[in-house]
Parts: sequence; structure tokens; C-alpha cells
Amino acid sequence: MKISDTVVGAGFLAAGALIIAGTMHYPPLDGGYPGPSLFPRILGGLMVAFGGLVGLKGLRTGDTTEEVEWLLLHKSTGFINAVFVLVGVAAYILFVERLGFLLMGALLLFVVMWRLKVPPLKALLVAVVFNTLVHFLFAKIMRVPLPLGLVWW
Amino acid sequence: MIDHIWTALVMLSSWNLMLTIAICSVYGLFVGAVPGLTATMAAALLVPFTFFMDPLPALVAIVTMEAMAIFAGDIPAALVRIPGTPSSAAYTDDSYELTKQGKAELVLGVDVITSAIGGLMGAVVLMTSAPLLAEVALKFTSFEYFWLAALGLSATVMIASTDPLKAGLALFVGLFFSCVGLDITLGYPRFTFGSTELLNGVDFIPAMIGLFGVSEILRNMGSSHLQYPITAVKAEKIFSGVAKTLWKYKRNMVRAGGIGVFIGILPGAGADIAAWIAYAASKRFSKEPELFGKGAIEPIVDAGTANNACLAGDWVPALVFGIPGDSITAIVIGVLFMKGLRPGPMIFEQQPELIYAVYISFIIANILMVPFGYLAIKVSGKLLKVPRNILMPAILMFCIVGSFAINNSFFDVGLMLAMGILGYFFENNGIPVAPIVLGMVLGPIVEQNFMVSMIKSEWDLTQFFTRPTAAILALLTILTWVAPFLPVIVRRLRGGNASA
Repeated sequence: MKISDTVVGAGFLAAGALIIAGTMHYPPLDGGYPGPSLFPRILGGLMVAFGGLVGLKGLRTGDTTEEVEWLLLHKSTGFINAVFVLVGVAAYILFVERLGFLLMGALLLFVVMWRLKVPPLKALLVAVVFNTLVHFLFAKIMRVPLPLGLVWW
Repeated sequence: MIDHIWTALVMLSSWNLMLTIAICSVYGLFVGAVPGLTATMAAALLVPFTFFMDPLPALVAIVTMEAMAIFAGDIPAALVRIPGTPSSAAYTDDSYELTKQGKAELVLGVDVITSAIGGLMGAVVLMTSAPLLAEVALKFTSFEYFWLAALGLSATVMIASTDPLKAGLALFVGLFFSCVGLDITLGYPRFTFGSTELLNGVDFIPAMIGLFGVSEILRNMGSSHLQYPITAVKAEKIFSGVAKTLWKYKRNMVRAGGIGVFIGILPGAGADIAAWIAYAASKRFSKEPELFGKGAIEPIVDAGTANNACLAGDWVPALVFGIPGDSITAIVIGVLFMKGLRPGPMIFEQQPELIYAVYISFIIANILMVPFGYLAIKVSGKLLKVPRNILMPAILMFCIVGSFAINNSFFDVGLMLAMGILGYFFENNGIPVAPIVLGMVLGPIVEQNFMVSMIKSEWDLTQFFTRPTAAILALLTILTWVAPFLPVIVRRLRGGNASA
């Protein structure tokens, strides 16, 4: 997902300004010297300056990249797969406590592999075996309290 | 010193450390040999495991893994023209051209031996320079530490990147993350948005796993079915002709080793930069520069030596000052803190055995590189056939569980995901990710030492320049920023004088 430098620069410029704005209510040190706000403000200022320069550079070089290549994104398999992974992990975070790691982890693995064109039966087998191994390694050997959910093992 | 070395050797000879070295050697070789997986990602994924280890096996695991991974990156570079890690990119074209000429065995033999020699050169420099620098560092105050960290930040932006503006932006993002949480002067919560999880700051480990692991997976999603046309290699022939080649270029190796170690010691610049600079130096001093890029063995000798020599060099500022030499040593510093160890000169006084064991593990890893490297080359065809559409989801699962394991928190898994998206977006837009890590590690050092210095000097800024060492470090920092513009300024001045 390539975005033009002008837009990237403008984004950082805005982010820098927001950081500075976020420090306005921070208390000063005794004697009125800047305390918690000093570093974020310097950083915000630098982000504004560098973001502005990147944006200007983009404008000057006549950056030909579309502002965001939105219209082409739905054709990009890589991008769609990436979104699939992100949604899958988000769903994992939401449901793993209820369903448990063994079920939810295997489901996530299966869905992502299936999306990446692994034959369904092979994907299912790999997902179950690999996820059980990960569970054994982390939950049983390293004693990480992975959520049990519906499967009590 | 002999006592410390003996104790370190005894510590390293335990069966669990031997097993750690063997497992991490295989892990490093695998990660390096599979294109798309980087040594930094491998280090980030190792961290959840190191959480459950003692400090020594944790450090030895990272040392072994990174040494093996940086060498193994040369294998796909030679066989399929894709560098396994960014450190092999500089000489990929030469390696592949030689492979096309039927010299794949020679290239891989030179790769493994120069990597081992470079690594050993780096280890010697680490062993000799780190204790000396540690004695100097004992005299450092907050003023010197501030400038040292500032020098690291400057080098990250000005030396370690092709686009300083974008590297700067990435660095500021990392520094911003380091500001999140309770501030050091008043304990005031900054940018926490009411979240109790953020009061202790942005957790370094899920952030690393997201930036280097998840973003890498997302990038690989478009090429998950890629099949490489693989050249068959006769592994038993890889050492034939290597000695003659290396003897011919013995001076190059010394020079490249020196460059590698120097770049390593410089805070912020890693093995990929070392390889590119060694490549440029090789071409500059070569009798046959016209062959570079078209199948010359000389740049492979140079850059292959430099990138592995750089690794031990990177550990010098990390151990002595707590300033990371590259993104992997930034992770190492995180691991040390996690283990309750504070990197810096005092660790040389308090835990000398640990430091000597790290030195020796560098030597062991680089000696083992030859037999393990031989085996990796022997199975290289199979390594390159690993189905990526199964490998990537498997790595994703390790990322998720690894992030969770540090604090047993789903907030960290969400943080990992957010960092993954950030890393994916940054890399796709030419913004390097490594400066974010360095910013996160160096941010608290810069801020803490600056605020402490200001408060104890009653806000007298001149104190930053009046101590001799601080003044030298300040000058070096300023030079780092000014140096790239010097030729332009000199040219303009000369032009102005000529027209006058």
C-alpha cells in the first residue's frame, strides 16, 4: 500500500502537531522549568519539521504515486491476504478466552492456510498438529497460562 | 582474567547450553536461508523463549542464532538471487552471476569461510576493546551518556539509512513510544489515554515481534506460493579452491574485518551497512573494479567478511554503554533488562563470567559455522522448498503466543498487531523500521540523562560542552549531522571564490 510522500509527510506533520497539543496540560517542574512536556514537545516539533520536509520533497519531485492507490487495492492478492491475517488475529483476540487456545489457534491457522491455497484437508491436519505442539511447548513446558476455553487440556 | 575464562568455559560446557547452541544454530541457519525471514525477526521471536531461560543461555541463543542467520542469508543469494537477509544484499548479484557460471560451490565455500573468519575477527575485537572501553565508561556521567545516546540517534538517521528524512521520522516514532507511560521527573502519565497497561510504557517485546514478525508475514502474503528455480549444489566440493582464493584476497579480508567491526561499534549501524561499505571499499581499491556486479569473487570475500565481523562489534556499545549497535542488540538490551541486568560498565565488574561467556560463545558459534554451514548448504535445496503458505501462518502463531507469554496479556497481542500494521505501512512507503526500535531503546537514555543533567546543573546548558569527553562526543554528534553537507558547502565556497 504505497502512499505518496506528500500525503505521508502531511500525516507526520499532523501527528507531530497532535503530540505537541497533547502535552499542553502537562505540569511544569518547580521554578516553572519544563518537565514531562519537554521531550514530547521537542519530538513533536521534529516530526512537524521532518514531515514537512518529506511532504515538500514529494511536491517538488512531482511524486507520481496516486495519493493512495485505493482503486487497485481490491485487485492485490497480497493486500487482501494481509487484511485476512489482520482480521483473523483480531478475531483471535476477541474470542480466544471464550473458545480456548486449542480451538481458536487451530481455527486461525486453518483459515489463513486455506486462504493461502493450502488444500483444506492438509491445512486442517497441519493446523491441528502444529497448534497442539505450540500449546504443549508454551502451556505445558513453559507454563504460559494460555486460555483453556472449551477445551480443558 | 584466566579465572573468569575458566569459569565461563565451565558454564558453557553444560549440556543445556550445548543443546541451546545446537538448536539456535539450526534455527539461525533456517531463518537466514529462507528469503523473507530476517535475523532481527528471528531475534524478536526468540525473546519469549529467553524469558524462561537464565541470562547466559538467553544471550548465547541470540549470539549463535544471529551469526548463523547472517551467513545463511548468503545461500539463497547465491542460488536464487534473493538475499536471505538484508546483510547479503550487497553481493547478491556477484554471487548469482558466479553460480550461473557453474561456480556455486566456490561462492558458498567462500561465503561460509569468510563469515567464520569475519566473525572471529569481530570476537577478538570485542574481547579486547570492550573491557578497555568499560573502564573509560566508568568515568562517564549523565552528560556523557546523553551525548553518547544522541550520537547513536544521529548515526541511525544519517549513516544507517539511504533516506535520512524518512529514517528520522521512524526514529521520532520510536522516541515517541518511549515517552508513553509515567515520566521520569514527576511520574506524570503521558499519552496513556486512561489505559493502565500503558502506564509502564509501550512494552518493547510485543512491539518488536509486531514490527519485525507480523509486518514480515504481511509482506510475504503476496508471494506465499513462490517457487524458486534452484541450482543443485555439490556440498562436498564447496571447500575446493577456497584457500587459494582467500590467500589471494588476504589483505581485503583484514580491511573488510576492520570496516565491519568499526561499523558495528558505531551505535545504530548494522551488518547490512557494513556489507555495503565493505563492498564500496573493495571496488575502490580493486584492480578489477569493472567486474563488480558481473560475477566477481572479490566483493564476496570483502562484504561476506564485513557483515559477520560487524555482529560482535555491535555488542561493544550494547554491553559497555547500554547503547545498541543495531536492531538485534537493541533486543539484547531488552533481554538483559528483562533478566534484571543493567548493561553498562558495571556489568563487567559484577558479572565478568557472563561477559567472558558471551565472548567465548561468539568464538564457538563462528567455529561451528563451518560444519553447520556445510550441512545447511547440503540441504539448501530442501530449505528453499519450504512451503511459505504453511510457514507464514506457523510464524504468525509463534508471534501471537510469544507476545502473550511475556505478560500473559491480550493487550500485548493487540499491541503486536498494531505494530505489525505500522511496520507493514512503513516498509511499503520506504520508511525503515529499525530506527523505531533504536528510538524505543535510546529514548529513555536520552531523556533521563538530559533531565538529570539539567536538574543537577540548575538548567545550565553550557555544562554539556565543558567536560572534555562530553565535548568530544558533542562534536562527533554535530559532525554526524553536518558531514553529509560538507562537500556541498565546500563546493559552494570554492565556486563563490572562483566567481569572485
